[in-house]
Amino acid sequence: MGTGLIDDYVTDLGARLQGSRRQVRDLLTETRDSLTDAVEAHLDRGLDEDTAQRRAVEEFGPVRHIAREYQAELAVAYGARTLTLLAVVLPVMHALWEMSRMYFIGPWQDFGGPVPSWYMLIAKANDMTSGVAAGIALVALILGRVLARRLDTQLLARLAASIALLSVLVVVLGNVAILSATWQVDPQRLVQSLPMGIASFGTWIVIVRLGLLARRCLSCATIVA
Amino acid sequence: MKPDALRGHLDALLLATLDGRQLHGYAIIEALQQGSGGALDLPTGTVYPALRRLERAGHVVSDWSTVGGRKRRTYRLTSAGQRALNAERSAWRQFTTVIDGVLGGDGKWAQA
Repeated sequence: MGTGLIDDYVTDLGARLQGSRRQVRDLLTETRDSLTDAVEAHLDRGLDEDTAQRRAVEEFGPVRHIAREYQAELAVAYGARTLTLLAVVLPVMHALWEMSRMYFIGPWQDFGGPVPSWYMLIAKANDMTSGVAAGIALVALILGRVLARRLDTQLLARLAASIALLSVLVVVLGNVAILSATWQVDPQRLVQSLPMGIASFGTWIVIVRLGLLARRCLSCATIVA
Repeated sequence: MKPDALRGHLDALLLATLDGRQLHGYAIIEALQQGSGGALDLPTGTVYPALRRLERAGHVVSDWSTVGGRKRRTYRLTSAGQRALNAERSAWRQFTTVIDGVLGGDGKWAQA
């Protein structure tokens, strides 16, 4: 059985989609299977090869319209994956940093001299940002499942991407705030411990990576397939 | 039947098609067309995103398995999906009873 028209359709569809590579591959495999099944059914009904392929592709729907629906699903899936990562990685990252701090520095009061009360306020707020951001991601994941059939898929994808970006932004703001505050109070604290400098650098790499994932979520949710 | 009229009911139709059986995508499309006597005029490609939506909602699960010598993704209802189908059927019966009371030909609207 020839597959010229089917190949063209699947290639055109694939070129319009953006998302997790595995998800795109699964959708395209399913599409090719469905079109092949449809061609076989039409051949069994007595149509010739070319007509069977053309009929199968027509029945599947205009590629632009189908790509739009597929893309919305891919965007939601990418959003859910990113929110899951945020819900898991942020608390783990914070816990690891705190454990390193306790091991290499010990309690804050033993590190350097006394600090103003506003500094402690910022430090406590920063301690909470990872938990808050992970909580936001978790609540969004649960709501996304509940609203899966009630809310327009494209809207759901845009909400997921916006919430992912918001979560990362909360963590970035917390970290920038504590760095700026420390610089203001005692810049020496920022370079006093090499292991903690490395741990902080690692934290920033994770945050930037999560930020890029969240930005790709938005790109998947807003691309015109 | 036009796609726009079906869109709002596609989820329920898919749940009903999967009731008590496990099917792959094209088998679901064939079952939908057979069940409607060929009246469902829907781009078949729209079925796959709808199946993913139902999977996201926890109403169906899918597995890759070999059917007829080819690797295919097959779908089946979960217990949440079965409950959703029962709710859809109940809501549909209620809806048709109400509409039929007005449009069915025996009511006062038909006599007016």
